[in-house]
Amino acid sequence: MLTIEGLREFGADVEEGLGRCFGQEEFYLTLVGMVLEEKNFDVLQQAIKDRDLDKAFEAAHALKGVLGNLSLTPVLKPVEEITELLRSRTDTDYEPLLQEILNKKNVLVEMAAQ
Amino acid sequence: MSENITGGIAGISKRKLLVVEDERINRELLRVILAGQYDLVFAENGKQALQLVHEHMDTLSLILLDLNLPDVHGLDLLQQIKGEDQLSHIPVIVMTADREAEVESLGLGAIDFIPKPYPQPKVMHARIQRTIELSEGKDIIRWTERDHLTGLYNREYFYRYASQLDNYHKDVEMDAIVLDINHFHILNERYGKPFGDEILIKLGHILRGIINANGGIVCRREADTFLMYRPHQENCSALMEEISKALGDDNHIRLRMGVYYNVDREIDIERRFDRAKSAADTVRNNYKNNIGIYDVSLHEAEVFAEQLLEDFPTAINEKQFVVYYQPKFDVRPSEPQLSSAEALVRWKHPQLGMISPGIFIPLFEENGLIQQLDTYVWRETASQIRKWKTELGMNIPVSVNVSRVDMYDPDLIYTLEDIVHEFDLDYSELFLEITESAYTDNSEQIISEVNKMREKGFRIEMDDFGSGYSSLNMISSLPIDALKLDMQFIRNAFKQRKDTRLLEIVITLAESLNVPTIAEGVETAEQMFTLKTMGCDYVQGYYFSTPLPADEFSEYVRNLKKEETEEITGNRNERNLQRDKYTYDALHDELTGLYNHTAFDVLFHDSDKDHIAVLLANIDDFARMKAEHGRKYADEVVRTVGMTLRDNFRSVDDICRLKEDEFVIIMTRITDSNHNLVYEKVELINELLEKETGNVSLSFGVAFSDRENAEGDIFEDADKALNTIKDVHKRGCVIF
Repeated sequence: MLTIEGLREFGADVEEGLGRCFGQEEFYLTLVGMVLEEKNFDVLQQAIKDRDLDKAFEAAHALKGVLGNLSLTPVLKPVEEITELLRSRTDTDYEPLLQEILNKKNVLVEMAAQ
Repeated sequence: MSENITGGIAGISKRKLLVVEDERINRELLRVILAGQYDLVFAENGKQALQLVHEHMDTLSLILLDLNLPDVHGLDLLQQIKGEDQLSHIPVIVMTADREAEVESLGLGAIDFIPKPYPQPKVMHARIQRTIELSEGKDIIRWTERDHLTGLYNREYFYRYASQLDNYHKDVEMDAIVLDINHFHILNERYGKPFGDEILIKLGHILRGIINANGGIVCRREADTFLMYRPHQENCSALMEEISKALGDDNHIRLRMGVYYNVDREIDIERRFDRAKSAADTVRNNYKNNIGIYDVSLHEAEVFAEQLLEDFPTAINEKQFVVYYQPKFDVRPSEPQLSSAEALVRWKHPQLGMISPGIFIPLFEENGLIQQLDTYVWRETASQIRKWKTELGMNIPVSVNVSRVDMYDPDLIYTLEDIVHEFDLDYSELFLEITESAYTDNSEQIISEVNKMREKGFRIEMDDFGSGYSSLNMISSLPIDALKLDMQFIRNAFKQRKDTRLLEIVITLAESLNVPTIAEGVETAEQMFTLKTMGCDYVQGYYFSTPLPADEFSEYVRNLKKEETEEITGNRNERNLQRDKYTYDALHDELTGLYNHTAFDVLFHDSDKDHIAVLLANIDDFARMKAEHGRKYADEVVRTVGMTLRDNFRSVDDICRLKEDEFVIIMTRITDSNHNLVYEKVELINELLEKETGNVSLSFGVAFSDRENAEGDIFEDADKALNTIKDVHKRGCVIF
């Protein structure tokens, strides 16, 4: 189950994220729950697999906005990194960053499932 | 106070925001952050956003726009909103995580940006509130600085911003351009105000587009006048073309442009546009050229005009304005009778000499001095009428001009009353001439004003009829006592290709409505003769007399009186003879004393076309005769033929010599059943001629107005008949 304490331990800037929600913890947790169902994670993964960097950028960029607003720092950081690389369509191996993003996300997914 | 404006008395003054954001989480966040203070409308993509903006455009206080949308890029949507006149006033705040996009969006018209991740709610609130406040404040300013119809600046703000533009771009050469629509009020009148407004809106939109693309500013100064102040560009005709093309090929609209290139910045901004305006005025009613350029000659005219304006007060005080009087004659009796006069003002300028009213009247009309001048002329005239009455026992009513602006003066009637009383005159002695165009301005007010004056006893003459967009309708619906036909209207009718049909229609119509007509500017005997036969009642013009100073006018009237007396005793005065001789010469053939071709034109034109016969006559073998016996002999033959014709037709028939050996007789009150009468007459004439001369004979071609199988007009058919006789034999007559 997602909890404020759990997210804090995870490394999220919970205070900032809560601030945007006028301190409504339940609402904040609902939004975090919604992030985990974000289709853009899948889109990003598939696009990188297909080397469709335009599409990958769109997805990463969108994720960055949402994760930033919820201050989910551990996922946000690699997303920001990958967004910048994708913005310049850098020809590089995106796998490691992608894995990091998915791993961090999975931590949250597991937390939610418990 | 500002909190009250935007902070919201909850529920009542909640501003409405449109949130354009495709990420659900972000939408939910924004809802939590903003819903307490604002009414929110959400769009998830560009298409939806555009639809909602249109739906709520009158009530939207702000748009929060995410740049990453699934269907369009946020910046494109922003551009679209800012590009639409009716939406562009709605402030847009862009939400983005990209620094670069922030700058670009500001360039495209976004008012502010909110970064992602979102700042703390307090910060967001403050930014949104501030933006709405600013924008609403700006809206109020916009409302006051704009012309509400077109959304362009109004004149005051235009001049201010134009001056600002000058300050910022000191080295850029600028052009001042005035654009207006020829006879816009006529468009309004004919097609209705909504049509006129639509044109103005369209034109405003086109001009804004041009200015947006090329720089400068534009405003609607008033009515149909637009001003543009823009960086110098050679060749304004390209601009004119662009505008006309954008307006579409609507033939109703004719634009007029005045350009003052590379303005002199030393002179006041408004004066620069006065110059452009005066350039535009040079092409008023000019159908070939619709662009006037301010140049040296205009500048000189301007300087001259300034001097006249400056000299005006002195001129009034020193009575430099002199009133001249031009007689009007009643031409209905066989001998024209002096009936009244028109007061016309001249300026005897001490340095510049005599100045034509054609120069100073329009100038004073423009500058509002005309009212003062009019009052002056009315008083001078009234005083003169009184003087003539007292000193010479002369009772001649005089008409004075009442300018268009006078008609809007609520005191007009009192001013006139005072003048009439002061000089102890009867209202009926001071006629008032009101220009036709005053009636089209604001008919209802003018009509009620005119009615009041008529009730007093003033006689109202509608002046300049036929000069503008006269409607025949006006004659029947307006309260007038006489219709003055415009000088130019008459001259046009008598131009090279004489076409007096319109003139005749007007006169006939006026006649049927019992409104007497007065023809102005009549110069020639032909004009006089034609107008008289058409039924025109009064004639004024050089044909009778030029405008005369008061003392000469008295002298003129005295002479007329003397003539009348002498005429009764059978002693025609020299001057009168002169005048008659002039008329006579213009209409008669010198050799035979018959009417000439000019007279024929008039007579034929005025004949009762249903009951006439036209007889064309040629002298047989005239060319040979002339070659064998010489000019003198030929002249004698023509004279004899003329005499014989005159002696043998009825007094109601008109006999004319067209040229050389060609004669034409218009027999009136005759029908196709009278062939024998014509044959007998022709035979008799030829017999007489042979008796008199031995060898001269005539061939006649005749056509009756009620002939069968007419081919051309009556004259042409008579000519055809004459040609057949010439082909076969000579001497005799063929009837068509």
